[in-house]
Amino acid sequence: MTEKINLKKIERKAYTSYHQDGLIDVFAGFFMLSFGLMLILDMAWMGWILWFVGISAYAAAKRVFTIPRIGFVKFAPHRAKAVVTSALIVVSLFALLGVVAFMQTEGGGTPLWLVFAAENYMLVIGVSVAASFCVVGYTFRTKRMYAYALLTLIMFVTGHFLYFPLYYYMTLLGTLILLTGLTLLIRFVRRYRLSTTGSMGDSGNEGQ
Amino acid sequence: MKGNKGRDDERPSIPKIDKTIHEPARLMIMAHLFVVESADFLFLQRQTELTWGNLSSHLSKLENAGYVAIEKEFLDKKPHTTLHLTDKGRTAFQEYRKSMKQVFEDLPE
Repeated sequence: MTEKINLKKIERKAYTSYHQDGLIDVFAGFFMLSFGLMLILDMAWMGWILWFVGISAYAAAKRVFTIPRIGFVKFAPHRAKAVVTSALIVVSLFALLGVVAFMQTEGGGTPLWLVFAAENYMLVIGVSVAASFCVVGYTFRTKRMYAYALLTLIMFVTGHFLYFPLYYYMTLLGTLILLTGLTLLIRFVRRYRLSTTGSMGDSGNEGQ
Repeated sequence: MKGNKGRDDERPSIPKIDKTIHEPARLMIMAHLFVVESADFLFLQRQTELTWGNLSSHLSKLENAGYVAIEKEFLDKKPHTTLHLTDKGRTAFQEYRKSMKQVFEDLPE
């Protein structure tokens, strides 16, 4: 072992390895796709319910796919704090989106900046979703989230000028991210095989 | 003897290195456990890329030294081992880092 021991690098590697399963992508893609489909069916309110269901489904998927394959780890408290802060930022951004969406449908008797935001809702949604991807990418140290952010910006800015309906972009982007996530998940499952003898680490009942 | 003593004085003051931690595999284990609160055996094995037997034997040595606490339990009827550094282990690792820095600082150019 001639290489330098870099504790920060070790911690970052451990942290990123925990998020290489593609589950964040699967859920982000699923949410966007469902939100787009809900818009088509005129049931946008259902999309917000999906967020709450999705968070518990994400935790369950972590238990089913990730932990049995790469093990369980409890990171230092600063990591948990960063996740909570990121979640708050993302929720605030989407709450803002909710206000914009409400403004767009209701209109009238509102501050100018909100009217402006409602008129340019594609840009507002695009920037908010892209910012959310950046926050998630920074929190979980996953670089591909920045690529999603860039893709989101390109699609929504283009959408602002092309006047296609919002659901068109939501479903397309959601499908792309979902497929990327599923590819990563399949690769992860193939790379890390399940232990056939249960959890490792107890003497006598596991092989090497 | 007198000559030897004289030479000893000229050598850099190498502090006492903790040999339990100094072994490369155990150093990796300690470093990985130092940066997290706790981890299970599987996670540590994936991160250190040590074999099951190797990891198990090094963990036993670290446990005997009082540096690592090993908790065994059953989750969904499957054995599960959680590991974390004890306070003594954290202090020893910090001391080890200081000692190693000292060793290299004391060496002549």
